[in-house]
Amino acid sequence: MAELPQGGRTRVSEVPNAGRVHQGPEASGNGTTPLDGRTVDRGHAKDLFRRFVETRNPALREELVGLHLPLVEYLARRFRNRGEPLEDLVQVGTIGLLKAIDRFDLDREVEFSTYATPTIVGELKRHFRDKGWAVRVPRRLQELNLSLNKVVAELSQEIGRSPTVAEIATKARLPEEEVLEGLDTSNAYAVVSLDAPAGGEDAPAVSEHIGVEDESLEALEYRAALGPLIAGLPERERRILYLRFFGGMTQSQIAARLGISQMHVSRLLNRTLAVLREGLLQDEETG
Amino acid sequence: MTSTVHLEIPASGAYLAVARAAATGLAAQLQFTYEEIDDLRIAVDEACTQLLARRGSATTLNVAYRLEDAELRVDVSIEAPDSSRPPLARDTFAWQILSAMTDEVREQSEAGRLWLSFRKVGGRG
Repeated sequence: MAELPQGGRTRVSEVPNAGRVHQGPEASGNGTTPLDGRTVDRGHAKDLFRRFVETRNPALREELVGLHLPLVEYLARRFRNRGEPLEDLVQVGTIGLLKAIDRFDLDREVEFSTYATPTIVGELKRHFRDKGWAVRVPRRLQELNLSLNKVVAELSQEIGRSPTVAEIATKARLPEEEVLEGLDTSNAYAVVSLDAPAGGEDAPAVSEHIGVEDESLEALEYRAALGPLIAGLPERERRILYLRFFGGMTQSQIAARLGISQMHVSRLLNRTLAVLREGLLQDEETG
Repeated sequence: MTSTVHLEIPASGAYLAVARAAATGLAAQLQFTYEEIDDLRIAVDEACTQLLARRGSATTLNVAYRLEDAELRVDVSIEAPDSSRPPLARDTFAWQILSAMTDEVREQSEAGRLWLSFRKVGGRG
């Protein structure tokens, strides 16, 4: 139930309700309510969810969608300055909402809005990426990136520490300029792969509990928008975030601990931060 | 010997890649390792993003990179009418990120400008 998608993507056409439930931005037009989902009656939502999980009744699903539409609108608004009509974005976000509703597990001790936020944002990002609006990495750079990944991993093994650019260039027989280009691409690449199914390379360890680590994160008075985003991250991402920023571990140490490569840790870290930062600037721009 | 590189970019997230790329190139000159460069890039992103979030009507963001032996110091600043409020509080996640990624972080606000500065020593593997 609570499992993240293991590859395979739901396309718009597979979500028959997407068009129907969309009510457009005017549907919430009471103007004064803060449209961040906090206005949702949680008791009511919980009750609906309980019944929906039991019955899978489409009518309940629709009601849940209607209830959380303000959250979708709030998130869609962050992408408004990218030249797409808001109502289209709301529609795209609603697909994310539907996915979140279908996957939500009542046993998870998180608010639904917290759980749904990354899914909705992910859907919006994917929309822009599919339309070619987000960063596209040319094939040559993708290949460069792959070969650099390999060289960095090998060199790290050989010399027992992270290699310098000069060392990577020598080993890869590339000019330093190209290695630097590759480094820049790895970040862009992280942005592009943001929406790759979370279960892709190795599925998050859902069973692992990180309560203590969470407290450190929560002790910080981060922006209201950041809280739900952090809480809604897959556990492994949250864990990496914690180990790197609070646990004082290097990427290599984290990699060893989690049994993945350092480059992979780097990618996960960068893409998590990209998600967390997304809200900050968009909010400023759209007020 | 100290060398300084000054970068002035439009106050928009779209130009963060330029600030990041400059940091990457300079850190490579200082023999930073791949991981150190990655940390540095995260710090540059974070500092710039935090100041951009306070940009108000400011149109440019300034980034100065000072290279010294094995150390890179980055000073990010932006014009801000409201410089009474510090650029970044220490109990924020952003401050935590900056501290974890670098060797020293400082914030300063004076005469209508907000500053976030950090120092990172490289070549330590």
